[in-house]
Amino acid sequence: MAYEEPVKDYDKIVENCTCAFCGSNCDDLDILVKDNHVAGVRHACRLGASKIMEDEDQRLLVPMVRDENGELVEVDWDTALDKAAELIAGSIRPVFYGWSETSIEAMKPGLELTELVGAVIDNQATICHGPTVQAVQNVGYPLMTLGEVKNRADMLVYTGSNPMNAHPRHLSRYTTYPKGFFRRRGRFDRTLVTWDPKFSDTAKLSDIWVPFEENGDYGFCNAIRAVLKGKELKQDVISGIPKEDIYELTEKMKNTKFGALFFGLGLTHTLSKQRNIDIAIQLVQDLNKYTKWVLLPMRGHFNVNGFNIFMSYEMGFPYGVDFSRGYPRYMIGETTTIDLLNRRECDVFMVIAADPGAHFPGGALAHLANIPVIQIDIHWGPSTEMADVVLPGTFIGVETAGTSYRMDSVPLYMKKAIDPPETCREDEWIVNELLQRVKNIKEASK
Amino acid sequence: MTYIEKPSISNVVKFDDPDVTQVKKLKVMLNTGTDIYQGACKKRGSTLKDEYRKVAGVCYMDPKDMARLGVGNWESILVKSDWGEVVCYAAHSRDAPHEGMIFIPKGPWANVVVSPETYCCSDPTYKGIKATVEKSDKEVLLMADLMRDVYKKYVKEGEETEELPSLGESPVYKKIRSQ
Ligand code: SF4
Repeated sequence: MAYEEPVKDYDKIVENCTCAFCGSNCDDLDILVKDNHVAGVRHACRLGASKIMEDEDQRLLVPMVRDENGELVEVDWDTALDKAAELIAGSIRPVFYGWSETSIEAMKPGLELTELVGAVIDNQATICHGPTVQAVQNVGYPLMTLGEVKNRADMLVYTGSNPMNAHPRHLSRYTTYPKGFFRRRGRFDRTLVTWDPKFSDTAKLSDIWVPFEENGDYGFCNAIRAVLKGKELKQDVISGIPKEDIYELTEKMKNTKFGALFFGLGLTHTLSKQRNIDIAIQLVQDLNKYTKWVLLPMRGHFNVNGFNIFMSYEMGFPYGVDFSRGYPRYMIGETTTIDLLNRRECDVFMVIAADPGAHFPGGALAHLANIPVIQIDIHWGPSTEMADVVLPGTFIGVETAGTSYRMDSVPLYMKKAIDPPETCREDEWIVNELLQRVKNIKEASK
Repeated sequence: MTYIEKPSISNVVKFDDPDVTQVKKLKVMLNTGTDIYQGACKKRGSTLKDEYRKVAGVCYMDPKDMARLGVGNWESILVKSDWGEVVCYAAHSRDAPHEGMIFIPKGPWANVVVSPETYCCSDPTYKGIKATVEKSDKEVLLMADLMRDVYKKYVKEGEETEELPSLGESPVYKKIRSQ
């Protein structure tokens, strides 16, 4: 990459902003502001910086509604909100999906709206760490905060995740590279291990790479558990790994002082799904007979964990909560978004701060072509191509302040650095407006 | 112990590799997931642009597999699975060697070929999907065109998406002022 001159032309620096990209929620960013525009950002990684220095060509600035020709037409806020409220009030099985890239403050009226119309409320966990949440409900959650890892951990295992691509500052800010209280020499005091079938960018930095075969995670974790329990391995090669290597690795894991296991979608997206995580959690439990081990799922969006915590606190269930019977119900495989779409059940789909167009499998997306879709977002994305009502929100962490939860469940208050564009509205305001308008429609039809 | 030994890979596909026999169609295991280029482009919001097609509409392959099919970097290939088929670019994987495995970063292109089956676990199967790869002479579609071509939400009856003009790289909507 060519050398770029540092940005010198700015009016002020807003210090200690929180990055609104991945679950690491780095809260040390300095945003350089010029004329109410972001001129530059310091300390963010490539991902965080690219989001904050957004592409203004594709910013959604005005509310839009599809006309009868299927073309999006710019309208005023009242028309767009009325249209959306009308769709929601008239629906039988609405799904409100998203929420992971907005603040907890916006979720509050969202939940009220869900209860009022008897909808299903769900977030991105349904397509990423849903199985993790199920496994946690099955077998427990030996969790820590990232600060503990920074100060104590001497062995770090990443499996089914590639933080150098998805959470680029995770290693440098929390786990591998920083100097900690008991790990004075930083990287030199720690062993970095990657279990991944691919020689991923994280594996390239690791001290040990364990390339088990595709879908081999379940067998491999179980083999380590067997060794921990003093059993002999009967096969010479398990999941593509020679048994001597498994013995050696197990011995190393037993002899660390503080180990941390981080796992990502590589485990939840393969065939064994939540059973993979069950085994990973039980592996950590078994290791605790010998030494201290903890684990943490590598959550993707900056507030995906926040939604799960918020919903668990308010309703007792983490995601995929269905209010169609008037009380909250949660049944994986039945009240979760992809299953509802696969069964062609939902009749109005509202997506807020998410992009199903980019992330849902085609088989599920095909149903969105049959039903009205309401989108609340900041950028024109694949979902806009399928949206019938588009409501432009504001950028949390840059244009609007709000609360989010880091992947280790630490709540952080995200500052604002600049004012939002005049024509956009905060997510909280939009959802509140929808709530009031739906209430009015329901009142009038009584 | 499997210590890291950096696999030595060349950045050129060797079409005359003696271990490689040419095939028309290759059976592979498809994986999807995030990748830093896709993530940065998507979250910046540049999804309509050519850039997004270059980072998400791309299939990272082992160079030997590319030689088997006779495709070079940035040539079109057709990826087919039980759930659909999509044209994307072939590119030399920086994580190679991984013969028999392809990687498409998550995005509208990968969505067409992944499985929506959740096995009652809420989570679709994005990884470990059986697929085939073959050479193609079609152009990789831009995001907006791809969404129109695959889901046909606003395509009128009788219209062929292939014959419609491209939606281009910038947002298409009617402004009040222009009326
Ligand atoms: S690691 Fe994540 S939170 Fe930190 S700057 Fe990068 S994208 Fe933002």
